[in-house]
Amino acid sequence: MSITYTIDGVKVVAEPSDTILTSATRAGVEIPTLCFDKRTAIYGACGICLVEVEGVPKLLRACSARPQEGYVVHLHTERVDRARKTALELLLSDHTGDCRGPCKLNCPAMTDCQKYVGEIREGRYKDAVDTIYEAFPLPASIGRVCPHPCEDACRRKMVEEPISIAFLKAFAADKVEADGTPYEVQCEPDTGKRVAIVGGGPAGLTAAYFLRRYGHAVTIYDKQPKLGGMLRYGIPEYRLPKAVLDREIQIILDAGVEVRTNTQLGRDISFDELRVSHDAVLLALGAWKSMPMRVPGEDLEGVYGGIDFLESLGLGERPALGERVAVCGGGNTAMDCCRTAVRLGAKEVYVVYRRTRNEMPAADIEIEEAEEEGVTFKFLTNPIEFYGEDGHVTGMKLQIMELGEPDASGRRRPVPVEGATEDIAIDNVLMAIGQGANCAGVDADLLTQRGTIACDELTFRTSIDNVFAAGDVTNRGAGIAIQAIAEAQKAALCINNYLEGDEVRAKVPYFVTQEKTPADFEDEPKQKREKMPGLTPEQRRDNFEPIYFGFTEEQALREASRCLECGCHDYFECRLIRYANAFDIDPERFAGEMHDREEKPVVSEVIIHDPDKCVLCGLCYRICDQEVGKTFLGLYNRGFSTVVNPMVPDEARTFCASCLKCVEACPTGAMKSIPAVERMTQII
Amino acid sequence: MRIIVGEGSCGLAAGAGAVHTALEALFAQSNPDGVELGITGCIGMCFLEPIVDVYEDDGTLHRLVKVQAKDAQTIYDAVTSGDLSLADKLLISPEDEQFLAKQTRVALRHCGVIDPESIDDYLANGGYQAIAKVLATGMSQEDVIEQIDIAGLRGRGGAGFSTAFKWRAARDAKADETGQKYLICNADEGDPGAFMDRAVIEGDPHSLIEGMLIGAYSIGASEAIVYVRAEYPLAITRLRKAIADATERGYLGEHICGSDFSCTLRIKAGAGAFVCGEETALIESLEGKRGMPRLKPPFPAQAGYWLKPSNINNVETYANVAWIIKHGGEAFAAMGTENSKGTKVFALSGKIARGGLVEVPMGTTLREVIFGIGGGIRDGREFKAVQLGGPSGGCVPASKLDTVIDYNELAATGAIMGSGGMVVMDESTCMVSMARFFLDFTAKESCGKCTHCRLGTKRMLEILDRIVTGKGEAGDIEKLEDLCYAIKDGALCGLGQTAPNPVLTTIRYFRDELEAHIDEHRCPAGECRELISYSIDKTKCIGCTACARQCPVGAIAGERKSPHQIDPALCIKCGNCKTACRFGAVQVA
Amino acid sequence: MQTLAPVDLSLIEPTLDTYADVPGSLITILQETQETYGYLPMEAMELIAERTNTPIATIVGVATFYAQFRLEPVGKHLIMLCQGTACHVNGSELISAAITDELGIEDGGTTDDGLFSLKHVACLGCCSLSPVMMINGNTYGSLTPDKARKILRELAAENAEGGEAQ
Repeated sequence: MSITYTIDGVKVVAEPSDTILTSATRAGVEIPTLCFDKRTAIYGACGICLVEVEGVPKLLRACSARPQEGYVVHLHTERVDRARKTALELLLSDHTGDCRGPCKLNCPAMTDCQKYVGEIREGRYKDAVDTIYEAFPLPASIGRVCPHPCEDACRRKMVEEPISIAFLKAFAADKVEADGTPYEVQCEPDTGKRVAIVGGGPAGLTAAYFLRRYGHAVTIYDKQPKLGGMLRYGIPEYRLPKAVLDREIQIILDAGVEVRTNTQLGRDISFDELRVSHDAVLLALGAWKSMPMRVPGEDLEGVYGGIDFLESLGLGERPALGERVAVCGGGNTAMDCCRTAVRLGAKEVYVVYRRTRNEMPAADIEIEEAEEEGVTFKFLTNPIEFYGEDGHVTGMKLQIMELGEPDASGRRRPVPVEGATEDIAIDNVLMAIGQGANCAGVDADLLTQRGTIACDELTFRTSIDNVFAAGDVTNRGAGIAIQAIAEAQKAALCINNYLEGDEVRAKVPYFVTQEKTPADFEDEPKQKREKMPGLTPEQRRDNFEPIYFGFTEEQALREASRCLECGCHDYFECRLIRYANAFDIDPERFAGEMHDREEKPVVSEVIIHDPDKCVLCGLCYRICDQEVGKTFLGLYNRGFSTVVNPMVPDEARTFCASCLKCVEACPTGAMKSIPAVERMTQII
Repeated sequence: MRIIVGEGSCGLAAGAGAVHTALEALFAQSNPDGVELGITGCIGMCFLEPIVDVYEDDGTLHRLVKVQAKDAQTIYDAVTSGDLSLADKLLISPEDEQFLAKQTRVALRHCGVIDPESIDDYLANGGYQAIAKVLATGMSQEDVIEQIDIAGLRGRGGAGFSTAFKWRAARDAKADETGQKYLICNADEGDPGAFMDRAVIEGDPHSLIEGMLIGAYSIGASEAIVYVRAEYPLAITRLRKAIADATERGYLGEHICGSDFSCTLRIKAGAGAFVCGEETALIESLEGKRGMPRLKPPFPAQAGYWLKPSNINNVETYANVAWIIKHGGEAFAAMGTENSKGTKVFALSGKIARGGLVEVPMGTTLREVIFGIGGGIRDGREFKAVQLGGPSGGCVPASKLDTVIDYNELAATGAIMGSGGMVVMDESTCMVSMARFFLDFTAKESCGKCTHCRLGTKRMLEILDRIVTGKGEAGDIEKLEDLCYAIKDGALCGLGQTAPNPVLTTIRYFRDELEAHIDEHRCPAGECRELISYSIDKTKCIGCTACARQCPVGAIAGERKSPHQIDPALCIKCGNCKTACRFGAVQVA
Repeated sequence: MQTLAPVDLSLIEPTLDTYADVPGSLITILQETQETYGYLPMEAMELIAERTNTPIATIVGVATFYAQFRLEPVGKHLIMLCQGTACHVNGSELISAAITDELGIEDGGTTDDGLFSLKHVACLGCCSLSPVMMINGNTYGSLTPDKARKILRELAAENAEGGEAQ
């Protein structure tokens, strides 16, 4: 009695009770659907399972159509694709939420912050570290130094303050180390391909880590005696103890990375040599050139490039500083410079910055701590001349500035106040107004006008076939470590794709996002951000001891519990977002009014329904009606205004069996079970 | 002599009730000749309502039109004096008589002729003879269905499916152990612009009952249900009385006409949902649920009402059945075209000179219906388009006026036969606004079950909303088209699958009008408020102040007897001034 | 606004006695309930749920699906303004604007004195008299904005007289 037909050329055998969908599933052919569940009667609402059958004029719903002998079924024709994509685009036009939390989306490396914060809250530190390592290595180091864009985006700041995501990261990494269960890199079997990485900083190390995971042989070439790049030679010990960095680099090296330190490109090894002896080359040279200020007197003795100053310190030298030191610039490097100067014994340390504190690119906490350590900030001043005696700088002339109209970056442009200047006596100047790349040894054809390496932003390829670039050395120039890491992570994927012969480009997935305002969190109970314990300003001013002690476990647990869990709990199971990405839809195509929705209805003590995410597949209420026999949920209103609702009166909630079958059946994140912990708090 | 007042909904709305009351009062005082005062249903000449028919004893008819209560005395005097010429000023004009004369009435054969509240009147006009013939002559189920087959009767509700095919399917469907099958009448006439089903029930309810009985006999159903729109209270009242009368006379209930055939009939009032015109949604509604369509298969013939075999036809379809059985399938098939037999009733409305119900043989041209019978466009304006098939149909332009009425021919224009709504438009109707109107309708009436319809119609409406308010963008037409085809392919039921038709026909025939809205922010018909402005032509304005008095916002100023002016900053574009002006001085640009 | 009178649930007992055990009667029961109260009070729907052994979710689901049902009371005069095609073509939008201007209510609204409610309805089937509105079962055809205002004023006046008489 069974019949035979084909779907996209695959032979499918169907029993009389079969639909196209059920027989296809058995044959291992996936037909997308949002509203079908074999426990309930066929419903046919979503319009995703449409197929075209040769000789049948209408498209058929695979969930309901019975196959016939010899049917030739196609899952992808122009008509099917149009109808299915349109259905997905329409559903997304009335669907809102956060597929992933703003923290993750704002992290250049797309670290799943919400996930590891949640794992920390549950005491699953090892899982948390595994989660971080999915995005990048070096968590204890980055957790200490990252200016954390994740926290800038954190919605908790609409309640009071953002989650201390970065420090939680460092906590988890330190904790597994202390517990004697550090992360171990798991590598795919060797592919036999060889990749050279020039530069062993955050970008180079990250690329090495991922490329090893992919199974490729990796050699890192670095001009310095030790690996770590900016993390080692740009960031002072008090912020990042080198023991921590060493330990984390070792984890990567343990995965089988070859290292050639003290090897400078163009001096110790030629670019062509590298290219020929490896299947691919990644240039991750960093940005080590201090930008000149183009001010008279710049070449006087005692005037240093900020990064050169820090680098020499990193190399174990102790640069001679006078008592009065001026640092020019307002970024994190400037902060590192001024605070280092304090620690080296300078009595008066100035930060000269031409705008105000509000416009400073450095992290707030850095500015605060520098002030605590006695640094004097001279805002709205701009050096116009360094002068000296006997070739050594003794003072500088500052132009007094005021803020004018906003510039392209949105910050108000500083403009000179006519005739207003100030002179200060100084012994040293540290210029920290920016860093450029030093690409000696690299083919000139590969460079941009700014001297950085030109590469494609999506493939990280340079104009030479097997040469890629990532990190501070690429087009955009110097940035923060996590940006370099993010580029390296993607570049590693592209190199892997290249080596495997796939399309090189790293595809950017689509996520549903939404805007929130503080008003949305009015009812959220306040809980202050945990304060990082550390040295007092007095204790830290004259030494390079690490200034932070790290969170205690109690603190970490409390801090992690503050997370609002913005990202959808159902992301990994959500069929809507999976199909949206798989079928390459244009989510904004039909953007329009969203259906009227009241507050998120509490279904029962354990279930919340989120109308923002509901696609009206009807599974929740059908399961409740047909499988559980409760009919606790129902559809209200009609047409565009249709919503799924539980019955209103409170006493009716006892009807709910709390079986969570509706939650499991929901193809999106519209049905959510309230975690036990939260229930407890509600009851309390 | 007999005086018959037309008391369909239209007639009553036009004041027939007051006329009747006035006449009744006069005859109650004195009625020496025993003049009978009766009622009838809608005759279809809605543009002449209220209508009073005066029949002389020899049957000569004097049709008095646009009668008001104040005319009652004139009629009374004419009738009682025997000099009917006294009422000549109310007499229908020869031109208006053509409206009926050019029609062929099958489904509407008794409408406006008999008293719908009198079963005797129906019987006197050959009523219940068809079912009696079926039962008395021992016609088998197949014999009956064969006649319907020969007649070529197709569903009059929209899609035009073969009635005989459906009846056979329901007859052949295996009933469960209860043996129960159902015959259902879809009287949920939801198409805006169609009202023939209402007219049939109000004017000739027994024809519907008789047609349903024949159908029930053919498929073996012992229970029949009429699903009527709640908006038709008069129809429900009259049908209820008809059912009671028919039951009392043995035409409904046990052993009908003394045979073994038994069938009950009941009414179920709808509760306001256009989608319930879709047969599976109607069944859900009959079962007391939300009217959301079911997936087909199974078709209602296999598993319909309470999952029993069920047959559903609409009112007009059943209204033809008794006639076919009585006159034979061939007689019906003799009218019409190759694949569209018999007659079709149309509800003619809009900017038409003579609006009402028109029944013509299939094969008649649209031009004949609109110009020959309907008298063309009102107020001497230009014909622009005719809307056929309501929200599932489309607007057919002047160039297609010679299309004949035929399921296939009409479908080829992009419109559909539909249930017979025929709304005529002149050059002052904006076709983009018309498309928007229908999408607004379908978006509101979408049941919300399937994605394509629930969200697709909403998004189409939003795009059209933008276009009619001058916010259209390049690419909107293509986006609409793409959405249209996706919805046609993806929607679950007929409502959604046909919802794009009004937009597609607008794109097909009136693309230039769409483009004018999008590219030039201009409404050529002068209808879309955001795109037009009102002004007064100084050379035509005589300063009568009529416009200024009608302006609700005081935007019109001017001295008496000198030209007026409209302040565009205040004008809300309500159009009152244009309506008020008798000199054509108010201009829209 | 009017204050809501307490709902006398005994009024729908006869309906429930007749239909509670007849399958598929929910819409009929709701129609008679609305006939009784002028709308569907939540208490009544809860009683119907109990008596028909139907989940309340199903009942509210049906009540919110059909245009006829109202979950809130309406004014004494319910103005049903036809939204049919012919009415649209013949200017129902202007009538709607006139009513809104006259009474200060939009579609779905009720005047503060509880006298009028305005509801846009699907085609009333009186297309030849378009534009059309129906108030308390009476159909008013061939409307102009002026005519519509006049009708409303007459109804309001009638009501005022009636009120005084009482």
